[in-house]
Amino acid sequence: MFVYEKKLQYPVKIAAVNPKLASIIISQYGGPDGELGASLRYLSQRYSMPYPELRGLLTDIGTEELGHLEMIGAIVHQLTRTLNDDQIRADGFAPYFVDHTTGVYPTAASGFPWSAASMAVKGDPIADLTEDLAAEQKARVTYDNILRLSDDPDVNDVIKFLREREIVHFQRFGEGLQNLRERLNQKNVYYMNPSFDK
Amino acid sequence: MDDNGSRVCCGILPANAPLANPYVPFQPDAATQYTAKTGLIKGTLFPCLDLPFLGMVNTEEKTDTMMHQLQALGFAIQELGLYLDTHGDDEEATELFRQYTQMYESGMAEYQQSCGPLFQKQAVQDGAYTWNNTPWPWEYRANQED
Repeated sequence: MFVYEKKLQYPVKIAAVNPKLASIIISQYGGPDGELGASLRYLSQRYSMPYPELRGLLTDIGTEELGHLEMIGAIVHQLTRTLNDDQIRADGFAPYFVDHTTGVYPTAASGFPWSAASMAVKGDPIADLTEDLAAEQKARVTYDNILRLSDDPDVNDVIKFLREREIVHFQRFGEGLQNLRERLNQKNVYYMNPSFDK
Repeated sequence: MDDNGSRVCCGILPANAPLANPYVPFQPDAATQYTAKTGLIKGTLFPCLDLPFLGMVNTEEKTDTMMHQLQALGFAIQELGLYLDTHGDDEEATELFRQYTQMYESGMAEYQQSCGPLFQKQAVQDGAYTWNNTPWPWEYRANQED
């Protein structure tokens, strides 16, 4: 089960409101490589993982991603607090505002709502862990791009932290894949699907 | 160190590696580590994995509030936990993990005593239900110290 701890993984304290920046950051809440998709990907893939260490790794990284989802929500929320009439008309924010006011909704920056089509659960550990490696890289690049687009030091402080976590997760998924491989048929690791052929 | 401030580190690839498979070199050991506080600022406890973008590095020291100390300890536990998920036989890292969890327990008790509950099951204090008395973590508070 999940139990809520009333704290963020990393502090979020954004001094200046900036609705335009919020309309970009929202992509890591509900975009194709965002934290909602990341947490659901790992927490769903774990059921078909064939070994306890892999189930643990996916549970722990998936849980951390839920904490990241909360941090991105906190950034968007703080960037859009107390907006005046001019600010809600700011470039790029009005289309979000008309549908969601200043609520936090899982959508890509493009306006496409969060979709399970942006993640996969294949039920085969090599396929799923390879997807996870790619997912971490895509999330890293999204954070790179946010750092290119944002000059808010309070936001970038948090984004740099989140970006670094993607690199660490990539390393752990790669190690998980190696630990898996060592338990498979050494002449042909694709001989069968260890999640299904027991 | 290169000019980005990151270390060049090499991991271990398997000696007999089946073809048509993706490989990430294994992190050899957890011996070199940042402190919990620096780890939180960097986003990793491990200098070898600290690979910033375009030299953008968080250097600002977080104020030393009880919450920041707790966040640093919680982060160290999370980071070492992931490491141990793939390096389950590293005794040194296991011992460090144990020490951080112990520090977290006492830090958490101290925090809850003076700042309010972190968990709902600890929300009754002096006969009153206090879960909703303290701000939620995503709220902006201009004067907050944590």
